[in-house]
Amino acid sequence: MSPVATQDRVLDEKATGKVFHDLRSFLKVLEEAGQLVRIKEEVDPEEIGAAGRASANLKNGPAVLFEKVRGYRNPVVTNVHGSWANHAMMMGMDKDTPVKEQFLELNRRWAKYPVSPERVEDAPVKENIMTENINIFEILSLYRINTYDSGCFLSKACIVSADPEEPTNYNKVNMGTYRMQVKGKDKLGIQALPFHDIGLQLSKAEALNQPVPIAICLGNDPLTTFMASTPIRYDQSEFDYVGALNNGVPMKITKSPTYGLDIPAGCEVCIEGYIEPRVRECEGPFGEFPGSYSGARLQGVVQIKSISYRNNPIFENLYLGIPWSEIDYLMALNTSVPLYQMLKETFPEVQAVNAMYTHGIGAIISTKVRFGGFAKAVAMRLLTTPHGMAYAKIIIVVDEYVDPFNLEQVMWAMTTRVDPDKDVSIIKNCPGMPLDPSSNPPGMHNKLIIDATTPKAPEKVSRDTELLKPPAGTEKWEKIISQLLKQTKN
Amino acid sequence: MICPRCDTDKVHLLVKSPVGNVWEMYICETCTYSWRSTESADKTDPARYAKNFKINPSEIPNMLVIPTIPPLKA
Repeated sequence: MSPVATQDRVLDEKATGKVFHDLRSFLKVLEEAGQLVRIKEEVDPEEIGAAGRASANLKNGPAVLFEKVRGYRNPVVTNVHGSWANHAMMMGMDKDTPVKEQFLELNRRWAKYPVSPERVEDAPVKENIMTENINIFEILSLYRINTYDSGCFLSKACIVSADPEEPTNYNKVNMGTYRMQVKGKDKLGIQALPFHDIGLQLSKAEALNQPVPIAICLGNDPLTTFMASTPIRYDQSEFDYVGALNNGVPMKITKSPTYGLDIPAGCEVCIEGYIEPRVRECEGPFGEFPGSYSGARLQGVVQIKSISYRNNPIFENLYLGIPWSEIDYLMALNTSVPLYQMLKETFPEVQAVNAMYTHGIGAIISTKVRFGGFAKAVAMRLLTTPHGMAYAKIIIVVDEYVDPFNLEQVMWAMTTRVDPDKDVSIIKNCPGMPLDPSSNPPGMHNKLIIDATTPKAPEKVSRDTELLKPPAGTEKWEKIISQLLKQTKN
Repeated sequence: MICPRCDTDKVHLLVKSPVGNVWEMYICETCTYSWRSTESADKTDPARYAKNFKINPSEIPNMLVIPTIPPLKA
Protein backbone atom coordinates (compact mmCIF):
# COMPACT_ATOMS: atom_id res chain seq x y z
CA MET A 1 0.00 0.00 0.00
CA SER A 2 1.51 3.34 -1.00
CA PRO A 3 0.20 5.99 1.35
CA VAL A 4 1.79 8.91 -0.49
CA ALA A 5 1.05 8.00 -4.11
CA THR A 6 0.02 11.53 -5.04
CA GLN A 7 3.46 12.82 -4.09
CA ASP A 8 5.56 10.20 -5.93
CA ARG A 9 6.58 12.45 -8.78
CA VAL A 10 7.78 15.32 -6.58
CA LEU A 11 9.78 12.97 -4.34
CA ASP A 12 11.36 11.21 -7.33
CA GLU A 13 12.82 14.50 -8.48
CA LYS A 14 14.29 15.16 -5.04
CA ALA A 15 15.86 11.70 -4.65
CA THR A 16 19.28 12.31 -6.18
CA GLY A 17 19.97 8.65 -6.73
CA LYS A 18 23.18 8.58 -4.70
CA VAL A 19 23.45 5.00 -3.49
CA PHE A 20 26.21 3.77 -1.19
CA HIS A 21 27.54 0.22 -1.34
CA ASP A 22 30.07 0.70 1.43
CA LEU A 23 30.91 2.99 4.32
CA ARG A 24 33.86 4.69 2.61
CA SER A 25 31.83 6.08 -0.29
CA PHE A 26 29.34 7.55 2.22
CA LEU A 27 32.13 9.10 4.33
CA LYS A 28 33.54 10.71 1.16
CA VAL A 29 30.20 12.32 0.34
CA LEU A 30 29.74 13.47 3.96
CA GLU A 31 33.17 15.09 3.91
CA GLU A 32 32.46 16.86 0.61
CA ALA A 33 29.25 18.26 2.09
CA GLY A 34 30.98 19.46 5.27
CA GLN A 35 29.34 16.73 7.38
CA LEU A 36 32.53 14.89 8.39
CA VAL A 37 35.43 16.24 10.41
CA ARG A 38 38.84 14.59 10.41
CA ILE A 39 41.02 14.43 13.53
CA LYS A 40 44.63 14.06 12.39
CA GLU A 41 46.27 14.28 15.85
CA GLU A 42 46.73 11.09 17.83
CA VAL A 43 44.00 10.58 20.47
CA ASP A 44 43.67 8.43 23.54
CA PRO A 45 41.10 5.66 22.82
CA GLU A 46 38.80 6.78 25.63
CA GLU A 47 38.36 10.23 24.04
CA ILE A 48 36.32 8.80 21.20
CA GLY A 49 33.14 8.30 23.28
CA ALA A 50 33.30 11.95 24.38
CA ALA A 51 33.65 13.11 20.77
CA GLY A 52 30.62 11.01 19.80
CA ARG A 53 28.59 12.66 22.61
CA ALA A 54 29.84 16.12 21.62
CA SER A 55 29.03 15.80 17.95
CA ALA A 56 25.51 14.50 18.60
CA ASN A 57 24.93 17.56 20.84
CA LEU A 58 25.47 19.90 17.88
CA LYS A 59 22.75 20.79 15.42
CA ASN A 60 23.66 18.87 12.25
CA GLY A 61 26.60 17.26 14.06
CA PRO A 62 29.13 15.71 11.69
CA ALA A 63 30.67 12.27 11.56
CA VAL A 64 34.04 12.34 13.37
CA LEU A 65 36.93 10.35 11.86
CA PHE A 66 40.00 9.66 14.02
CA GLU A 67 43.02 8.87 11.86
CA LYS A 68 45.31 7.87 14.75
CA VAL A 69 44.32 6.16 17.99
CA ARG A 70 47.14 5.64 20.50
CA GLY A 71 48.41 2.08 20.64
CA TYR A 72 46.30 0.90 17.71
CA ARG A 73 46.78 0.47 13.97
CA ASN A 74 43.52 1.55 12.40
CA PRO A 75 41.16 4.55 12.25
CA VAL A 76 37.78 4.97 13.98
CA VAL A 77 34.68 6.87 12.87
CA THR A 78 31.73 7.82 15.05
CA ASN A 79 28.47 9.83 14.72
CA VAL A 80 28.05 8.74 11.10
CA HIS A 81 24.24 8.75 11.49
CA GLY A 82 24.12 11.37 14.24
CA SER A 83 22.22 14.27 12.64
CA TRP A 84 19.22 14.88 10.36
CA ALA A 85 21.63 16.16 7.73
CA ASN A 86 23.59 12.88 7.66
CA HIS A 87 20.35 10.93 7.83
CA ALA A 88 19.04 12.73 4.73
CA MET A 89 22.30 12.19 2.86
CA MET A 90 22.12 8.48 3.68
CA MET A 91 19.17 8.38 1.28
CA GLY A 92 20.81 10.60 -1.34
CA MET A 93 18.61 13.53 -0.26
CA ASP A 94 19.60 17.14 0.28
CA LYS A 95 21.12 17.64 3.75
CA ASP A 96 18.50 20.26 4.64
CA THR A 97 15.51 17.97 3.99
CA PRO A 98 12.94 18.34 6.83
CA VAL A 99 12.23 15.27 8.97
CA LYS A 100 8.61 14.85 7.79
CA GLU A 101 9.82 14.76 4.17
CA GLN A 102 12.42 12.15 5.01
CA PHE A 103 9.64 10.10 6.67
CA LEU A 104 7.45 10.40 3.55
CA GLU A 105 10.34 9.46 1.23
CA LEU A 106 11.20 6.42 3.33
CA ASN A 107 7.57 5.31 3.11
CA ARG A 108 7.58 5.75 -0.65
CA ARG A 109 10.69 3.57 -1.01
CA TRP A 110 9.40 1.05 1.56
CA ALA A 111 6.71 0.09 -0.97
CA LYS A 112 9.42 -1.13 -3.40
CA TYR A 113 10.15 -4.15 -1.15
CA PRO A 114 11.34 -6.74 -1.99
CA VAL A 115 14.43 -5.86 -4.05
CA SER A 116 16.59 -8.99 -4.20
CA PRO A 117 20.29 -8.35 -3.57
CA GLU A 118 23.07 -8.89 -6.07
CA ARG A 119 25.42 -11.71 -5.06
CA VAL A 120 29.12 -11.07 -5.61
CA GLU A 121 32.07 -13.45 -5.14
CA ASP A 122 34.76 -10.90 -4.43
CA ALA A 123 34.43 -8.20 -1.82
CA PRO A 124 36.98 -5.88 -0.19
CA VAL A 125 36.28 -7.49 3.21
CA LYS A 126 37.97 -10.64 1.82
CA GLU A 127 41.28 -8.82 1.23
CA ASN A 128 42.61 -10.20 4.52
CA ILE A 129 41.65 -12.94 6.97
CA MET A 130 42.93 -13.88 10.42
CA THR A 131 42.20 -17.49 11.41
CA GLU A 132 44.94 -18.25 13.95
CA ASN A 133 46.16 -16.39 17.04
CA ILE A 134 42.99 -14.35 16.76
CA ASN A 135 43.36 -10.90 18.28
CA ILE A 136 40.46 -8.52 17.67
CA PHE A 137 42.56 -5.61 19.04
CA GLU A 138 44.93 -5.91 16.05
CA ILE A 139 42.08 -5.03 13.68
CA LEU A 140 39.70 -2.81 15.68
CA SER A 141 40.74 0.22 17.73
CA LEU A 142 38.46 -0.68 20.64
CA TYR A 143 37.57 1.74 23.43
CA ARG A 144 35.24 2.19 26.38
CA ILE A 145 32.24 4.27 25.25
CA ASN A 146 30.73 5.44 28.57
CA THR A 147 32.56 5.77 31.90
CA TYR A 148 31.03 2.82 33.75
CA ASP A 149 30.59 0.44 30.84
CA SER A 150 31.97 -2.96 31.75
CA GLY A 151 34.62 -2.81 29.00
CA CYS A 152 34.99 -2.09 25.30
CA PHE A 153 31.78 -2.63 23.34
CA LEU A 154 30.75 -2.99 19.72
CA SER A 155 27.65 -0.76 19.52
CA LYS A 156 27.02 -0.70 15.78
CA ALA A 157 27.63 -4.26 14.59
CA CYS A 158 25.26 -5.77 12.01
CA ILE A 159 25.04 -9.40 13.07
CA VAL A 160 23.89 -12.02 10.57
CA SER A 161 22.51 -15.39 11.68
CA ALA A 162 20.37 -18.11 10.12
CA ASP A 163 17.35 -19.96 11.48
CA PRO A 164 18.72 -23.12 13.19
CA GLU A 165 15.82 -25.24 11.87
CA GLU A 166 15.97 -23.83 8.31
CA PRO A 167 19.52 -22.53 7.81
CA THR A 168 19.15 -22.20 4.02
CA ASN A 169 15.84 -20.26 4.17
CA TYR A 170 16.92 -16.85 2.82
CA ASN A 171 13.93 -15.02 4.28
CA LYS A 172 14.66 -16.31 7.78
CA VAL A 173 18.25 -15.08 7.75
CA ASN A 174 18.36 -12.26 10.28
CA MET A 175 20.54 -9.18 10.34
CA GLY A 176 20.26 -7.27 13.60
CA THR A 177 22.26 -4.94 15.83
CA TYR A 178 22.94 -6.33 19.31
CA ARG A 179 25.50 -4.99 21.71
CA MET A 180 28.69 -7.02 22.20
CA GLN A 181 31.12 -6.71 25.11
CA VAL A 182 34.76 -7.49 24.26
CA LYS A 183 35.83 -10.15 26.80
CA GLY A 184 39.00 -11.53 25.20
CA LYS A 185 41.18 -11.43 22.11
CA ASP A 186 38.80 -13.98 20.63
CA LYS A 187 35.75 -13.74 22.89
CA LEU A 188 32.69 -11.48 23.02
CA GLY A 189 29.50 -11.18 25.02
CA ILE A 190 26.18 -10.68 23.24
CA GLN A 191 22.88 -9.19 24.37
CA ALA A 192 20.12 -11.24 22.70
CA LEU A 193 16.78 -10.02 24.05
CA PRO A 194 14.03 -12.65 23.87
CA PHE A 195 11.71 -10.69 21.53
CA HIS A 196 14.46 -9.90 19.05
CA ASP A 197 14.89 -12.24 16.09
CA ILE A 198 18.25 -13.50 17.31
CA GLY A 199 16.58 -14.34 20.64
CA LEU A 200 14.13 -16.57 18.73
CA GLN A 201 16.94 -18.28 16.85
CA LEU A 202 19.05 -18.74 19.99
CA SER A 203 16.13 -20.33 21.80
CA LYS A 204 15.62 -22.88 19.00
CA ALA A 205 19.32 -23.76 18.92
CA GLU A 206 19.74 -23.98 22.69
CA ALA A 207 16.81 -26.40 22.98
CA LEU A 208 18.97 -28.72 20.85
CA ASN A 209 22.24 -27.73 22.57
CA GLN A 210 23.54 -26.35 19.28
CA PRO A 211 25.78 -23.28 18.79
CA VAL A 212 24.57 -20.39 16.61
CA PRO A 213 27.09 -19.35 13.92
CA ILE A 214 27.11 -15.59 13.41
CA ALA A 215 28.85 -13.07 11.17
CA ILE A 216 29.45 -9.74 12.92
CA CYS A 217 29.75 -7.10 10.18
CA LEU A 218 31.21 -3.73 11.09
CA GLY A 219 31.56 -0.54 9.06
CA ASN A 220 28.62 -0.89 6.66
CA ASP A 221 26.95 1.36 4.12
CA PRO A 222 24.52 3.58 6.06
CA LEU A 223 21.23 1.99 4.91
CA THR A 224 22.45 -1.49 5.84
CA THR A 225 23.06 -0.27 9.40
CA PHE A 226 19.66 1.46 9.27
CA MET A 227 17.87 -1.78 8.34
CA ALA A 228 19.80 -3.87 10.89
CA SER A 229 18.12 -1.86 13.65
CA THR A 230 14.66 -1.72 11.99
CA PRO A 231 11.87 -3.89 13.38
CA ILE A 232 10.47 -6.01 10.53
CA ARG A 233 8.75 -9.39 10.53
CA TYR A 234 10.88 -12.44 11.25
CA ASP A 235 10.35 -13.85 7.77
CA GLN A 236 11.21 -10.60 5.96
CA SER A 237 14.68 -9.97 4.57
CA GLU A 238 16.67 -6.95 5.71
CA PHE A 239 18.73 -7.27 2.50
CA ASP A 240 15.58 -6.96 0.36
CA TYR A 241 14.65 -3.82 2.28
CA VAL A 242 18.08 -2.23 1.80
CA GLY A 243 17.53 -2.55 -1.95
CA ALA A 244 14.10 -0.94 -1.61
CA LEU A 245 15.49 1.96 0.43
CA ASN A 246 18.33 2.30 -2.11
CA ASN A 247 15.46 3.44 -4.35
CA GLY A 248 15.37 0.05 -6.09
CA VAL A 249 19.13 -0.50 -6.48
CA PRO A 250 19.98 -4.00 -5.18
CA MET A 251 22.29 -4.31 -2.21
CA LYS A 252 25.49 -6.34 -2.78
CA ILE A 253 25.98 -9.42 -0.62
CA THR A 254 28.65 -12.10 -0.48
CA LYS A 255 29.22 -15.36 1.41
CA SER A 256 31.19 -15.03 4.64
CA PRO A 257 34.50 -16.93 4.34
CA THR A 258 34.15 -19.25 7.36
CA TYR A 259 30.44 -20.07 7.77
CA GLY A 260 29.08 -19.13 4.34
CA LEU A 261 26.52 -16.72 5.80
CA ASP A 262 25.16 -13.96 3.53
CA ILE A 263 26.87 -10.71 4.53
CA PRO A 264 26.98 -7.11 3.24
CA ALA A 265 29.75 -7.14 0.62
CA GLY A 266 30.78 -3.57 1.46
CA CYS A 267 31.57 -4.07 5.16
CA GLU A 268 34.97 -3.09 6.57
CA VAL A 269 35.31 -6.05 8.95
CA CYS A 270 33.52 -9.40 9.31
CA ILE A 271 34.07 -11.31 12.55
CA GLU A 272 32.78 -14.87 12.40
CA GLY A 273 32.11 -16.99 15.43
CA TYR A 274 29.37 -18.83 17.27
CA ILE A 275 27.14 -18.19 20.27
CA GLU A 276 27.92 -20.92 22.79
CA PRO A 277 24.73 -22.86 23.58
CA ARG A 278 23.31 -22.74 27.12
CA VAL A 279 26.10 -20.53 28.44
CA ARG A 280 25.52 -17.26 30.28
CA GLU A 281 28.16 -15.04 31.85
CA CYS A 282 28.29 -11.72 33.67
CA GLU A 283 27.96 -8.93 31.09
CA GLY A 284 27.49 -5.18 31.41
CA PRO A 285 26.62 -2.69 32.66
CA PHE A 286 26.45 -0.71 29.44
CA GLY A 287 25.11 2.78 28.83
CA GLU A 288 21.94 2.09 26.90
CA PHE A 289 19.58 4.02 24.65
CA PRO A 290 17.15 4.99 27.47
CA GLY A 291 19.95 7.21 28.77
CA SER A 292 21.06 5.19 31.78
CA TYR A 293 23.24 2.18 32.44
CA SER A 294 21.56 -1.18 32.15
CA GLY A 295 22.55 -3.42 35.05
CA ALA A 296 24.96 -6.32 34.86
CA ARG A 297 23.15 -9.43 33.65
CA LEU A 298 24.00 -13.02 32.74
CA GLN A 299 24.06 -12.96 28.93
CA GLY A 300 25.38 -14.96 25.96
CA VAL A 301 28.99 -15.65 25.00
CA VAL A 302 30.55 -15.72 21.51
CA GLN A 303 33.74 -17.52 20.48
CA ILE A 304 35.51 -15.91 17.50
CA LYS A 305 36.85 -18.23 14.79
CA SER A 306 38.01 -15.77 12.11
CA ILE A 307 38.25 -12.08 11.29
CA SER A 308 38.10 -10.91 7.67
CA TYR A 309 38.87 -7.29 6.88
CA ARG A 310 39.54 -4.69 4.21
CA ASN A 311 42.98 -3.14 3.97
CA ASN A 312 43.25 -0.33 6.56
CA PRO A 313 39.84 -1.18 8.05
CA ILE A 314 37.84 1.64 9.63
CA PHE A 315 36.15 0.79 12.95
CA GLU A 316 32.69 2.38 12.90
CA ASN A 317 31.11 2.65 16.35
CA LEU A 318 28.22 4.61 17.81
CA TYR A 319 27.83 6.74 20.96
CA LEU A 320 24.67 6.27 23.00
CA GLY A 321 23.64 8.32 26.02
CA ILE A 322 20.91 10.66 27.22
CA PRO A 323 18.69 11.24 24.17
CA TRP A 324 19.31 12.53 21.63
CA SER A 325 22.57 10.89 20.65
CA GLU A 326 23.58 9.10 17.43
CA ILE A 327 21.44 6.08 18.20
CA ASP A 328 18.28 8.22 18.40
CA TYR A 329 18.82 9.62 14.90
CA LEU A 330 19.50 6.10 13.61
CA MET A 331 16.34 4.64 15.17
CA ALA A 332 13.97 7.61 14.74
CA LEU A 333 12.45 6.89 11.36
CA ASN A 334 13.36 3.21 11.14
CA THR A 335 10.97 2.74 14.05
CA SER A 336 8.30 5.15 12.78
CA VAL A 337 8.07 3.80 9.22
CA PRO A 338 7.40 0.10 9.97
CA LEU A 339 4.91 1.00 12.70
CA TYR A 340 3.13 3.37 10.31
CA GLN A 341 3.04 0.68 7.62
CA MET A 342 1.60 -1.92 10.01
CA LEU A 343 -1.03 0.49 11.37
CA LYS A 344 -2.02 1.56 7.85
CA GLU A 345 -2.79 -2.07 6.91
CA THR A 346 -5.61 -2.14 9.46
CA PHE A 347 -6.50 1.56 9.58
CA PRO A 348 -6.09 3.47 6.29
CA GLU A 349 -7.26 6.55 8.23
CA VAL A 350 -3.80 6.85 9.88
CA GLN A 351 -1.86 9.81 8.44
CA ALA A 352 1.57 9.48 10.05
CA VAL A 353 3.36 7.93 13.02
CA ASN A 354 6.10 9.60 15.03
CA ALA A 355 7.74 6.82 17.03
CA MET A 356 11.07 8.61 17.39
CA TYR A 357 11.19 8.77 21.16
CA THR A 358 13.44 6.22 22.82
CA HIS A 359 13.04 3.61 20.08
CA GLY A 360 9.25 3.93 20.11
CA ILE A 361 8.66 3.77 23.86
CA GLY A 362 6.85 7.07 23.18
CA ALA A 363 4.78 7.40 20.02
CA ILE A 364 2.39 9.92 18.48
CA ILE A 365 -0.16 8.85 15.87
CA SER A 366 -2.07 11.23 13.61
CA THR A 367 -5.36 9.84 12.31
CA LYS A 368 -8.77 10.67 10.91
CA VAL A 369 -11.41 9.76 13.46
CA ARG A 370 -14.43 8.00 12.01
CA PHE A 371 -16.54 7.70 15.14
CA GLY A 372 -16.36 7.90 18.94
CA GLY A 373 -13.53 5.84 20.45
CA PHE A 374 -11.78 5.30 17.09
CA ALA A 375 -8.52 6.85 18.28
CA LYS A 376 -8.30 4.42 21.20
CA ALA A 377 -8.68 1.50 18.78
CA VAL A 378 -5.85 2.84 16.62
CA ALA A 379 -3.63 3.14 19.68
CA MET A 380 -4.42 -0.44 20.70
CA ARG A 381 -3.44 -1.65 17.23
CA LEU A 382 -0.01 -0.04 17.72
CA LEU A 383 0.27 -1.92 20.99
CA THR A 384 -0.33 -5.26 19.27
CA THR A 385 2.28 -4.87 16.52
CA PRO A 386 5.43 -6.92 17.31
CA HIS A 387 7.56 -3.83 18.00
CA GLY A 388 4.76 -1.85 19.66
CA MET A 389 3.99 -4.74 21.97
CA ALA A 390 7.55 -4.85 23.27
CA TYR A 391 8.50 -1.18 23.23
CA ALA A 392 5.57 1.29 23.03
CA LYS A 393 4.43 2.50 26.42
CA ILE A 394 3.05 6.03 26.00
CA ILE A 395 0.83 6.59 22.94
CA ILE A 396 -0.67 9.94 22.05
CA VAL A 397 -3.30 10.07 19.29
CA VAL A 398 -3.96 13.36 17.46
CA ASP A 399 -6.31 14.46 14.68
CA GLU A 400 -5.37 14.19 11.00
CA TYR A 401 -4.56 17.94 10.74
CA VAL A 402 -2.00 17.76 13.58
CA ASP A 403 1.56 17.00 12.46
CA PRO A 404 2.87 14.35 14.88
CA PHE A 405 6.46 15.46 14.12
CA ASN A 406 5.65 19.00 15.25
CA LEU A 407 5.73 18.83 19.05
CA GLU A 408 4.27 22.33 19.44
CA GLN A 409 1.21 21.13 17.55
CA VAL A 410 1.08 17.92 19.58
CA MET A 411 1.16 19.92 22.83
CA TRP A 412 -1.61 22.14 21.44
CA ALA A 413 -3.70 19.03 20.77
CA MET A 414 -3.03 17.62 24.26
CA THR A 415 -3.84 20.88 26.02
CA THR A 416 -7.08 21.52 24.12
CA ARG A 417 -8.50 18.10 23.36
CA VAL A 418 -7.74 15.90 26.36
CA ASP A 419 -10.33 15.46 29.07
CA PRO A 420 -8.34 13.34 31.55
CA ASP A 421 -11.58 11.89 32.92
CA LYS A 422 -12.28 9.92 29.73
CA ASP A 423 -9.33 10.34 27.36
CA VAL A 424 -6.57 8.71 29.41
CA SER A 425 -6.39 4.91 29.70
CA ILE A 426 -3.91 2.65 31.45
CA ILE A 427 -3.69 -0.96 30.32
CA LYS A 428 -1.93 -2.99 32.97
CA ASN A 429 0.47 -5.91 32.90
CA CYS A 430 1.57 -5.90 29.25
CA PRO A 431 4.90 -6.96 27.72
CA GLY A 432 7.54 -4.26 27.99
CA MET A 433 11.10 -3.21 27.32
CA PRO A 434 13.48 -4.42 30.07
CA LEU A 435 15.97 -1.63 29.34
CA ASP A 436 13.33 1.02 30.16
CA PRO A 437 14.31 1.87 33.77
CA SER A 438 10.62 2.33 34.68
CA SER A 439 9.71 -1.17 33.44
CA ASN A 440 8.88 -3.07 36.61
CA PRO A 441 9.65 -5.92 36.76
CA PRO A 442 12.03 -5.55 33.79
CA GLY A 443 10.15 -6.84 30.77
CA MET A 444 6.67 -5.68 31.84
CA HIS A 445 4.93 -2.40 31.01
CA ASN A 446 1.71 -0.70 31.97
CA LYS A 447 0.64 1.03 28.76
CA LEU A 448 -0.70 4.61 28.61
CA ILE A 449 -3.02 5.89 25.86
CA ILE A 450 -3.81 9.60 25.61
CA ASP A 451 -6.60 10.40 23.18
CA ALA A 452 -6.01 13.98 22.05
CA THR A 453 -8.50 13.87 19.18
CA THR A 454 -11.70 15.89 18.84
CA PRO A 455 -14.71 13.90 20.09
CA LYS A 456 -17.02 12.34 17.49
CA ALA A 457 -20.55 10.91 17.77
CA PRO A 458 -21.82 8.87 19.52
CA GLU A 459 -19.41 10.42 22.03
CA LYS A 460 -20.98 13.57 23.50
CA VAL A 461 -19.44 16.66 21.96
CA SER A 462 -19.49 19.27 24.70
CA ARG A 463 -18.31 22.24 22.57
CA ASP A 464 -18.14 22.95 18.86
CA THR A 465 -14.59 23.52 17.62
CA GLU A 466 -14.42 25.66 14.50
CA LEU A 467 -10.71 25.68 13.65
CA LEU A 468 -8.97 28.95 12.78
CA LYS A 469 -8.04 28.28 9.16
CA PRO A 470 -5.20 30.44 7.71
CA PRO A 471 -6.50 33.60 5.99
CA ALA A 472 -6.61 33.62 2.17
CA GLY A 473 -3.18 34.48 0.78
CA THR A 474 -1.12 32.89 3.59
CA GLU A 475 0.73 30.51 1.20
CA LYS A 476 1.57 33.37 -1.14
CA TRP A 477 3.03 35.36 1.75
CA GLU A 478 5.07 32.40 3.00
CA LYS A 479 6.82 32.30 -0.38
CA ILE A 480 7.35 36.07 -0.53
CA ILE A 481 8.80 36.26 3.00
CA SER A 482 11.09 33.20 2.53
CA GLN A 483 12.40 34.66 -0.70
CA LEU A 484 13.11 38.02 0.96
CA LEU A 485 14.89 36.28 3.86
CA LYS A 486 17.12 34.37 1.43
CA GLN A 487 18.03 37.62 -0.32
CA THR A 488 18.86 39.26 3.03
CA LYS A 489 21.20 36.35 3.92
CA ASN A 490 23.02 36.73 0.60
CA MET B 1 46.37 -7.19 40.95
CA ILE B 2 42.82 -6.73 42.18
CA CYS B 3 39.72 -6.09 40.06
CA PRO B 4 38.69 -2.44 40.54
CA ARG B 5 35.01 -3.43 40.34
CA CYS B 6 34.56 -6.63 42.33
CA ASP B 7 37.80 -6.71 44.36
CA THR B 8 38.67 -10.32 43.51
CA ASP B 9 42.20 -11.28 42.54
CA LYS B 10 41.71 -13.51 39.48
CA VAL B 11 42.79 -10.94 36.93
CA HIS B 12 44.87 -11.51 33.81
CA LEU B 13 46.50 -9.51 31.07
CA LEU B 14 43.95 -9.20 28.25
CA VAL B 15 46.17 -7.55 25.62
CA LYS B 16 49.16 -5.24 25.13
CA SER B 17 48.85 -2.33 22.73
CA PRO B 18 49.33 -3.64 19.17
CA VAL B 19 51.48 -0.62 18.37
CA GLY B 20 54.26 0.66 20.61
CA ASN B 21 54.36 -0.22 24.28
CA VAL B 22 51.87 2.40 25.36
CA TRP B 23 49.18 0.53 27.32
CA GLU B 24 47.95 -2.84 28.56
CA MET B 25 44.42 -4.01 29.17
CA TYR B 26 43.42 -6.34 31.98
CA ILE B 27 40.29 -8.37 32.57
CA CYS B 28 38.68 -9.85 35.65
CA GLU B 29 37.74 -13.52 35.43
CA THR B 30 34.97 -13.16 38.00
CA CYS B 31 32.92 -10.21 36.73
CA THR B 32 34.48 -9.71 33.22
CA TYR B 33 35.27 -6.05 33.89
CA SER B 34 38.18 -4.87 31.72
CA TRP B 35 40.29 -1.73 31.94
CA ARG B 36 43.22 -0.02 30.26
CA SER B 37 46.35 1.00 32.17
CA THR B 38 46.03 4.56 30.83
CA GLU B 39 42.50 5.13 32.16
CA SER B 40 41.79 7.38 35.15
CA ALA B 41 41.83 6.12 38.73
CA ASP B 42 38.03 5.96 38.97
CA LYS B 43 38.17 3.10 36.45
CA THR B 44 41.39 1.36 37.49
CA ASP B 45 41.78 1.76 41.27
CA PRO B 46 39.63 -0.53 43.48
CA ALA B 47 39.57 2.13 46.19
CA ARG B 48 38.33 4.83 43.82
CA TYR B 49 35.90 2.84 41.64
CA ALA B 50 32.35 4.28 41.89
CA LYS B 51 30.59 2.62 44.84
CA ASN B 52 27.23 2.17 43.12
CA PHE B 53 28.85 0.31 40.22
CA LYS B 54 30.81 -2.07 42.43
CA ILE B 55 29.79 -5.71 42.06
CA ASN B 56 29.70 -8.19 44.91
CA PRO B 57 30.77 -11.55 43.45
CA SER B 58 28.09 -13.35 45.48
CA GLU B 59 25.41 -11.43 43.50
CA ILE B 60 26.58 -12.80 40.15
CA PRO B 61 24.86 -16.23 40.20
CA ASN B 62 21.53 -14.48 41.03
CA MET B 63 21.66 -11.94 38.21
CA LEU B 64 18.88 -11.86 35.61
CA VAL B 65 19.47 -14.44 32.83
CA ILE B 66 18.86 -12.96 29.36
CA PRO B 67 17.45 -14.70 27.46
CA THR B 68 16.18 -17.56 29.64
CA ILE B 69 17.69 -20.91 28.68
CA PRO B 70 14.98 -23.20 27.25
CA PRO B 71 14.52 -26.80 28.40
CA LEU B 72 16.47 -29.32 26.33
CA LYS B 73 14.37 -31.18 23.75
CA ALA B 74 14.56 -34.93 24.28
